[in-house]
Amino acid sequence: MSGQVWVYSESEPVANEVATAAAAVAQGASAEVRMVDIGSVRPATRGSGGRLLLKGPAGHEVSPAVAAEALARAAKDLAPLAVLLGATRDGREVASRLAAKLGIGCMAEVAGLASDGQGMTGERNVFAGKVVAKVRCQFPAVATVKVGAYPKAAAQPGESQEKDVGPVSDQTKTVGREKKPAGAVDLRSAKVIVSAGRGVKKKEDLAILAELATAMRGALGCSRPLSADLGWLPEEHHIGLTGVTVKPDLYLAVGISGQLQHVAGMKDSKVVASINTDKDAPIFQASDYGIVGDLYQVIPALERALAARR
Amino acid sequence: MKIAVCVKHAVDEAELKIGPGGSPLLAGAAGKMSTFDKNAVEEGLRLKAAHQGEVVVFMVGGTESKKTLKEALAMGADRGVLVTADTVAIDALRTATMLAAAMKRSGRFDVVICSEGASDTYTGQVPPMVGELLGIPYVGYARKIEIDGKAAKIERSLEDSVESVEAAVPFATSVVSEINDPRYPTLIQIMQASKKPVEELNGEEIAPAGSRRGVEVLSMSSQPTARKHVMIDGSPDEAAAKLLDALSKEGVLK
Repeated sequence: MSGQVWVYSESEPVANEVATAAAAVAQGASAEVRMVDIGSVRPATRGSGGRLLLKGPAGHEVSPAVAAEALARAAKDLAPLAVLLGATRDGREVASRLAAKLGIGCMAEVAGLASDGQGMTGERNVFAGKVVAKVRCQFPAVATVKVGAYPKAAAQPGESQEKDVGPVSDQTKTVGREKKPAGAVDLRSAKVIVSAGRGVKKKEDLAILAELATAMRGALGCSRPLSADLGWLPEEHHIGLTGVTVKPDLYLAVGISGQLQHVAGMKDSKVVASINTDKDAPIFQASDYGIVGDLYQVIPALERALAARR
Repeated sequence: MKIAVCVKHAVDEAELKIGPGGSPLLAGAAGKMSTFDKNAVEEGLRLKAAHQGEVVVFMVGGTESKKTLKEALAMGADRGVLVTADTVAIDALRTATMLAAAMKRSGRFDVVICSEGASDTYTGQVPPMVGELLGIPYVGYARKIEIDGKAAKIERSLEDSVESVEAAVPFATSVVSEINDPRYPTLIQIMQASKKPVEELNGEEIAPAGSRRGVEVLSMSSQPTARKHVMIDGSPDEAAAKLLDALSKEGVLK
């Protein structure tokens, strides 16, 4: 029997990205991919390879604690070579807990996954994206896969397997769930992002940036101080290491100094343009085009120029 | 209420120099308290103010990392525990194992607080691992924590939603930076911090590594994204027109 590489994510689209990463690991390790469902089979079509249903945990809502315990019980019996999860907030928790339960290594937020048959390697950003580290972990291993780093795997037929792991209790209870405003979702899929920083003098002035974003058919983002310290925009608009990671065609940084933590969230943008009064602002080092100038003059000028072209 | 807070002496990424071959010069690199750990310390102090008790700061690191522990003590933590280890060569599970072992020696804690991730490596793995190894409920990415007797109510901030979660004390958590505004220690507090007790434990003694290899770093290289760095001059109207021309040529203006 050949080894297995398991894929699990609480998010269907992310699971299908992770499936693509898992296929690369499975190829190097001559293993098979298994898409894992916990509690109940999800109706949607799933990415490459066969499926594995872990029966026992009840219901459709599976908390990180329950997912980690179900995966750990199944892994102890079925001994997969690797378990890959999505590097979402929930996914990081499941992966970490699973690795701790099994006493094995866990690679965090990796891309470029490969296997030499004995273990797997991957690449991850460290020091706020300043450096890329190549990491390796001997099988059996756990990893979380960077969200957005892989295309979604197309659905493929495959063998189905079931495993009863017994009931799993949760020490915590989720009593409510509220959707956040759509900000983060819009930013992740936006082709153009206009992003505001401390150069904006007051909250009301964000309106001119929002107008420009609308004129460019884009979305409005911000650096951390505007959401976390000033509260001018909801945290879902915060682009950076601990906020949303974006990769639009055009990223227009307005009044943003360009701290590494901010750049970490936007460095995969296709083209970056910046407007800042300080010619030495680090944002210019992370930009294709820079204008040293007052945003209160340059933004209206951009709006006029845009209007003239349409 | 006994509160444990975990902190890390992180590489100061802004100060980190890159060598000629593209490798980061980690030997002797400047360090600082991991940015978001200040929120973890602050939350510990906030809970202490509301429920009495003590705040104990735990850290795995070398002797150079003591200034981070001191900073947490200056902010108001009561005492510190330094678990000595070579942090360059260890992975998250090893760090978490040493932290959990150190906490078990210090008695049972009601609340264990970490930040969501270290500002240098940002794996976010240590907090759930510590919770798991201590065998207590864990609720990560907290943006609000309320404790009433033995019952805690925590708001978890996820990508697209906020969850309300109930847990019983003792529990472990990681906090996001929105949860509070960390205080700055006063000069007097900084001076008093040196008098607060710091216990030193040897990581290998309290939690032998055995033959486990974990995650290994094979190589590190700086790969700056290639940018054009074109500076556009002229009056605001001229600069705006030139920028739009350039963006049109790039094909990124719809």
